Parts: sequence; structure tokens; C-alpha cells
Amino acid sequence: MIIVFAVFAILIFYDLQRFIRKKERARVFAIYIFFMAASLAVSLLLASERRPSSPSQWIEAILKMIGVLK
Amino acid sequence: MEKARISSTQLFLLLSGFLFGSTVILAPAQGAKNDAWLAMLLGGAGGTLLMWVYAAIALLNPSKTLVDILKEKLGKVAGNIFAVLYAWYFIHLASLVLRDFGEFICTATFPETPMVVVIGLFAVILVYAINSGIEVMGRLSELLVPVIPLIVVIISLSLITVHDFTAFLPILGNGMTPVLNAAFSFITFPFGETVAFLMLFPHVNKKEKLKKVVLVSAAISILLGIILFFRDISVLGSDLMARSTFIPHLTSLLIPGFNVEPLVDINLLIGGGVKISVCIYAAAKALSQIAGIGDYRKLTGSISTFCVVLSIWEYKNVLELFDWAEKVWPYYSIPFQIIVPLLLLLLSLREKSKPSDAGAES
Repeated sequence: MIIVFAVFAILIFYDLQRFIRKKERARVFAIYIFFMAASLAVSLLLASERRPSSPSQWIEAILKMIGVLK
Repeated sequence: MEKARISSTQLFLLLSGFLFGSTVILAPAQGAKNDAWLAMLLGGAGGTLLMWVYAAIALLNPSKTLVDILKEKLGKVAGNIFAVLYAWYFIHLASLVLRDFGEFICTATFPETPMVVVIGLFAVILVYAINSGIEVMGRLSELLVPVIPLIVVIISLSLITVHDFTAFLPILGNGMTPVLNAAFSFITFPFGETVAFLMLFPHVNKKEKLKKVVLVSAAISILLGIILFFRDISVLGSDLMARSTFIPHLTSLLIPGFNVEPLVDINLLIGGGVKISVCIYAAAKALSQIAGIGDYRKLTGSISTFCVVLSIWEYKNVLELFDWAEKVWPYYSIPFQIIVPLLLLLLSLREKSKPSDAGAES
């Protein structure tokens, strides 16, 4: 858990510093935060051994629901 | 648009590296067992046709990426929705290949190393390559991709003394259905995945050679796949081949006298690296175009981080990964690889025929 926080802190600190210095637009921050927040949340859940259902399972469920897969 | 240019040779090698990708360790069309070579021929023909469709779309819409084409043909709202879905598809594909890579390295080479470390370190190198630009990726492929067939030839020749050349018989022992299923899988993996190149085609300097480049790289990929199949089945036999996870790796272990296992790792590093780089580049470029961000490099770090996490999150183990890739991936890929590109081709052809009609009327 601590390692996950440490890795993400380094990555976010490095990138955000660069973005602020270059005065990036809000949409760059929005996309960046979306991906990093999703990655951090999933990483923390995986680190605490509470694996959430994955996109592959959602895709499989959708394909079963519409009758493509049995 | 980014002014970077790649030559047709670089595109050819990028495409070939992409097509070899994880196929050099996973042996596609395995579902057809002894008749996988037939499935590869049939699927390869279909896959080549599909790649020809992508090239035709690119030629009908010169200097436009997939996102530009989607927005132009389907309108801004629908175009953006489809573009986001494609960005997701490229991210998902990159994460699948990263997982293939991680599973292979952690099974065969570094069994004591946590997979996230292997995948994470590989991703760091790839982000560096992607941020260096498409020209650097092209030059890297020029340098590295020719090594892949060389390694295949070295391993195949080293095994010449342990071959059983009748191992692929009987032909069509299980009927035609498994062959057709495997052929369909072979179209979607790896040929259909080259839809990601619609984000790269605008950077090719000689567009008139595009169709030729696509056809030659597809033909070489089919040929290499068939060579790999005949090598593996004549060394391992169909029964052991059906039960193995990483078939080419197992084959390379059987060379009498010396160990060439690292050569298979090198193949995956090169092929997988090219494939993941192209997918992350395509995703970052697509998202940057959708959001109106000038430089795709601002998004590569976060997208790559997400790909690493996604690759670990998706599957509990290698068996789940292979099962999903075999049963779900081909059907999940149909809209991205076949339906939308065909629709875009039809719309592009219709648009192309319009001005000449107007000219004839006037």
C-alpha cells in the first residue's frame, strides 16, 4: 500500500510540476487526473486484495446479455 | 498535425513488428490444432483484406487520422463518441499485450520477480520511446524488427535434427469448423488490430506505396506464422502443443546442446514493444485530438500508467487471460476492426464519387 502511494506520488509530482510550469490547459489536467485517479484507486484495491470486477468481465457480460456469447 | 514523417520501409517494419508482436510467443490459430496452418492461410487472407481496407480508408482520406475521419464522416458528436471508444480499445489492447509480456517473462525468465515490476519497467522504456516521437519509433523498428525473423530462422535450423515432418497429419481430422473458428480468431488477432495504424498512416511520406507495404507485411507475417507452426508441431507434436502455454518457448528449450531461451525473450521484447508503443501512441493521439490538445506527449505518461494497472487488474492468471482472449476478444473486436472501418470505407467511397457526379451533371 505504501509502495503504491509512493510510486504514484513520484509520478504525479513529476508530471504536475511540468504541467504547471508550462501552464497547461484545464483539459490536460482533467484527462491526466482521470487516468491517474482511476489507476490509483484500482492499485489500492488490488494492493488490499479486494480486486474489483474488471472491464473484461463487463465486456463479457455485455456480450452475453446481447446474445453474442453463450 | 504533427509534422513527423516516416518512410514506407519504417512503416513496413512497424507493421511487421506489430503483427509479430505477441504472436511470436503465443502461436495463434492454436484452436485448429493440426490444421492451424490452414487456419492461418484462410485467416491470413481475410486479415490481409482487412488491412487493405484500412489502407484504402487512409488513401481516400489523406493526412487524416482515424479521429479526423470519424468526426468528418459521422458528425462531431457520434464521431467523438466512436473516437473515445477507439481510444479505449487501443488502451485495452496495449494492456493485453503488456500482460502477455508480463506473464511470459514471469513464467519463463524471472519467476521470482513480481509481474507489476516487470510490466512497469517495460512501460517506462516504452513511454520514453513514444515520447521521442513516431520518427524515433520508426527508426527503432528499422534497427530491431529484422532481428525477429533472424531469431526464428536460428531456432528453426537448430532444431532440424529433432523434427517429425509428419506430425501435422491428418489434414482436417476434426472437420472444417475448428479451422474456420481459428481462421476468424487469426483475423482479429493480429491482423484486425492494425486498425491502430489509421492513427499513423498520415505520417507516411510516400502514400502511393501504402497498399503495397500493407500487403507485403501481411504476407511476411503469415509466412512467419506458418513457419513457426510447422517448426513447433514437428518438434513437440500436436498433443503437447495443445497443452502448452508458451509454445515457441517450449520448443526453444528442446534444442540439444545450448540454451537459446533468451532469444525468444528478445523476440517478445521487440515485437511486444512495437505493438504496445503503437497502441499507446494511437490512444494518446486519439485522446489529444478529441480534447483539442496539441501535443499527445502530455497524455502518454498517464495512459501508460493506466495500461500497467489495467494489465494487472484484468485477469487473475494466465489461463483466464488466454480463455478471454480466445472466447471474447474476437467478438468484442468485430465493431472496432470490421464494422466501423467498413462503414468508413463506404462513406469515403460515396464522398469520393460525389464531386465527379456533380462534374458530369454540370
